[in-house]
Amino acid sequence: MAQLKNIKKWFWIHRWTSLICTLFLLLLCLTGLPLIFAEEIDQMLDDDPPYAAMPEDTPKASIDRMIRIAQQRYPDQVVASVFVDDDEPQVIVTMAPSLKPEDGPKSHSLQFDSRTAKLLKDEPPFDTQPQTFMGLMFSLHIDLFMDLPGELFLGFMGLLFVFSVLSGAVLYGPFMKKLDFGTVRYGRSARLKWLDLHNLLGIGTAIWLFVVGATGVMNELSTPLFGLWQITDVKAMLDKYKGHPLPQSSGLSSAQGAYQTAKNALPGMTVISIVYPGNSFGSPYHYLLWAKGNTPLTSRLFSPVLVDARSGQLAAVVKMPFYLRALELSRPLHFGDYGGLPLKIIWAIFDLVAIVVLLSGVYLWFVRRKFYADYFLKLSEVEKD
Amino acid sequence: MNKQFKKVWKAPVLLAGVTLFGLLSALLGTGIWYWLAWVAMLVPLLVMLKKVCS
Repeated sequence: MAQLKNIKKWFWIHRWTSLICTLFLLLLCLTGLPLIFAEEIDQMLDDDPPYAAMPEDTPKASIDRMIRIAQQRYPDQVVASVFVDDDEPQVIVTMAPSLKPEDGPKSHSLQFDSRTAKLLKDEPPFDTQPQTFMGLMFSLHIDLFMDLPGELFLGFMGLLFVFSVLSGAVLYGPFMKKLDFGTVRYGRSARLKWLDLHNLLGIGTAIWLFVVGATGVMNELSTPLFGLWQITDVKAMLDKYKGHPLPQSSGLSSAQGAYQTAKNALPGMTVISIVYPGNSFGSPYHYLLWAKGNTPLTSRLFSPVLVDARSGQLAAVVKMPFYLRALELSRPLHFGDYGGLPLKIIWAIFDLVAIVVLLSGVYLWFVRRKFYADYFLKLSEVEKD
Repeated sequence: MNKQFKKVWKAPVLLAGVTLFGLLSALLGTGIWYWLAWVAMLVPLLVMLKKVCS
């Protein structure tokens, strides 16, 4: 009888973890579908003229030149960060009225051709840009327009989902005792048919559901994890500069110089962004540069480099803590964007199967009562035999 | 347990193994490993399709 009690317990866990999260999981599956193809959709909607055709080995223009052009255009504003694309020949300079966090939504970007330093596009501030379809999908998928509370809420829903997958896998055994793998009892009751389909599709996608669910939870924790890093390691690192005078924007060393310094410090890696001193995502005293590796795996792992904002000297190559490494690795495994278009299509099919598993689960709960009373009765009789 | 357990879990464990291999192979390699990942991850989808249609 102990076994039956156990099954009932798992059944209870499976029912409630699933029921609570299902509605949100459906939303995540639906909004996640276009997000898998975010890159392709962006490219399709992009109506910018193509980049000027130039030989592959054309040297890059100095970042300082682009910064100067940006500053001449907006003399009352400050540079917040610079993104150096490693994919397309572009550099994006982001400026804001000030580096105070509340001015974040007022920031705007200027796109430059990285080889000619020619200004290609001057975008309006983020808070005046109309909501796009993909932006809406992102908000619904990540935080339901509620920032951190929304992220934590959806993270919790994801955690329930992970438990629902695990408990579902535990229940698969007793349910399949008398059936061959993949049996679908068509032609009897609708309930049996959908139970069999739920079991088949659930167990067939279980690993994918678990991996995408668990890495999704991890991604929802990125704000607190980066926050933890900032109040521990980063704070410890910056404490020794306490009391030093803050660098003024007129007295900054060259951004191109900082870029080169970071590049020299990390041979074999690609520096992709420069966070300006004073930015709340950086250091008050340094340029913070993010570099990534060049292999499929290491291109997902970022290393921060600090360069003194006055002297331009290398200050530190920062080691990321294990929890941020885990977060970085959980991104591709959630997005499915690491194996070309075919993998994305496979991701989308798994996503659609997941929707069927969710809906059939709700249906089974809806018609459950008598059926499961009978089922447990039958199980207890089998055990008595 | 044992014999029955094996009968119930053989196919699911194989599918899980193939899926996991696919998930990791595209993450750790390129070229041929991409192809192996695509093929591996199609396996559970095709098996499910066949069972649903039979």
